[in-house]
Amino acid sequence: MCGNLLETRDLRVEVNGVPILGGIDLEFEPGLVYAILGPNASGKSTLAKTVMGLPEYKITGGDILFNDESILRKTITERAQLGIAYAFQTPPSISGVKLDDFICRICPDYQCKAEADTLMGETCACKDVLYDDFERLGIRNLADRDLNDGFSGGESKRSELFQVLSMRPKIMFLDEPDSGLDYDSLKVVGHELKALREKGDTTLVIISHHRYVLEFLEVDKVYILQQGRLVYTGDMSDIPALEEKGYEKFLAEVTG
Amino acid sequence: MTSDNLKKRAESAKKKQAQFGEDIDLDNYEYTSSGTSEIESIDDVSSEDQALVREVGFDTSQENVSGSFIQFDTESILADVLLTQEGLEVLPMSQALEQYDWLKDYLWKAVPVDVDKYTARSELEQYNGYFIRAKAGVKIDMPVQSCLIMKKNQSVQNVHNIIIAEEGSELHIITGCATPSNVEQSLHLGVSEFYVKKNAQLSFTMVHRWSENTDVRPRSAAIVEENGTYISSYALLSPLKSIQTFPKVRLVGSGAKSDLYSIIYGTKNSKYDIGGLLSLEAQRTSGKVISRSIATDSSEIIARGDLVGLSSQTKARLECDGLLISDSAVIRAVPMLVARAEGAELSHEATVGKVGAEQLNYLMSRGLDEEEATSLIIRGFVKLKVPGLPPALQSSIDDAIKMSLEGGM
Repeated sequence: MCGNLLETRDLRVEVNGVPILGGIDLEFEPGLVYAILGPNASGKSTLAKTVMGLPEYKITGGDILFNDESILRKTITERAQLGIAYAFQTPPSISGVKLDDFICRICPDYQCKAEADTLMGETCACKDVLYDDFERLGIRNLADRDLNDGFSGGESKRSELFQVLSMRPKIMFLDEPDSGLDYDSLKVVGHELKALREKGDTTLVIISHHRYVLEFLEVDKVYILQQGRLVYTGDMSDIPALEEKGYEKFLAEVTG
Repeated sequence: MTSDNLKKRAESAKKKQAQFGEDIDLDNYEYTSSGTSEIESIDDVSSEDQALVREVGFDTSQENVSGSFIQFDTESILADVLLTQEGLEVLPMSQALEQYDWLKDYLWKAVPVDVDKYTARSELEQYNGYFIRAKAGVKIDMPVQSCLIMKKNQSVQNVHNIIIAEEGSELHIITGCATPSNVEQSLHLGVSEFYVKKNAQLSFTMVHRWSENTDVRPRSAAIVEENGTYISSYALLSPLKSIQTFPKVRLVGSGAKSDLYSIIYGTKNSKYDIGGLLSLEAQRTSGKVISRSIATDSSEIIARGDLVGLSSQTKARLECDGLLISDSAVIRAVPMLVARAEGAELSHEATVGKVGAEQLNYLMSRGLDEEEATSLIIRGFVKLKVPGLPPALQSSIDDAIKMSLEGGM
């Protein structure tokens, strides 16, 4: 049994003085696929954002370990550089920064050797491969648009996915990667994630309500949160029952 | 108007303070009394001066321009038109006034001579400047470049420019102004009058680089006739002592259109009071006033915008965005809308803020450190895309912005 890539220990978090997570222990092993499920306001997104280090999520107790070392004192940047990535649900728009330039900038693999300041108005050599990938994700039209500026819900999801994929992280948290997607886009996203799973060097943590992506991906482990606590740990086989019964009934039965 | 009459009006306004901006004692400066001498070719300009003009985007090889104009202080002038470029004139103002009797009808027509003490003084002292004209129906693809350089201490550069795009013509001008940093104190008075005739298109791109001891009081105005288009873009990226300018564009013919863009990168103790006014005087006239300001250090920026709808079926928009990146800096956005006719559709949006924490965190979560993220946001903010501008001019704006950010950050 190999060690955990990331784990939270009795993690307690509050936002604006309101406790959201009330002591959560979760473990994420390298290369596996996890689903974090739970009713609205159960703390799923909070957990992901806290791991990323977003400042409005204040840790009041417990710890987050990455490769057995606490990351609580690390900045967002340092966490990103360790290999933690988070796909935002509603990313802020940043004018004057084109999506393609930005992806070149954050991705080590597009062989963009351009300095930060040459990104203004100039093209870099990485673009051919890059545009193929844009094409595959069905968002070629976003390449020379300003980052998140006027992206539709579905476009935003795919742009976020492209960005976190480009970072080649060790663990990625995808916050509802499937909401707002039409059936075709859903398939694109599903295939993308499945390919990543098959490569096996990234831990995937998916926060979702939808059965489609989870089943397509063959999730290894399911965590269900409720009111800021972990209330159930299961696997793929629980998903049909969950969908049929809903959280309340399902949890009432399993937790008795 | 007779020149006696002009002088009389100028005399009467000699003490009239400007509506905005810090008052300047005009008697503290020396004015030129001698005439201007002409420089035959760019080769006669010293290599030091060539380097200076290149800093504001002047192409000393003159390969991609249709004409060139350089003026040092109010003393010496280079005016050059590409031999193969037909229908384009670039002349020193003094020469043009001698050559064309009708030109005096355009002098002080768009900018009244008695607006304030600066226009008055400009008329009363020795001046020069450029006269640029595209003749009717001529489309001049490559831009005319001009450059005004101030080198003398304690002196005034007094410039009066007239630009005429005749009926159906197309003309692009890029102009740079610069002061070497060793100049101790100086004043730039620049009067520019733009006349865009029926169906003509004129774009005017300005990149300024003054010294910290220069006060600048440009006074400019444009008159745009039926279906004419006037696009102005202004980038002011270096520190200076103070600048106050409020160019006015009058759209007097139906279907006339004008967009005014400006980008101010405020540094050190510089004081900026910069505006733009669109006067929609005929039916179906339209336009935009877009300004972006970034205030760093202890700079003070006032960004004004004024839309005046005087006719029906007119439409204009004002956007004033400011980014504050220092606690000792100030940005004040002053948008104004005045409608005096039913059917004038005017709108504005003004924002002043700091680099948003949400944006910073987002970029940092993609692996950028705080400094890189801040710089990316600022670079993005100052990007000025001017629709309708030839790519060469757009890239000179981009280059100028890039250059000044590298120096300042």
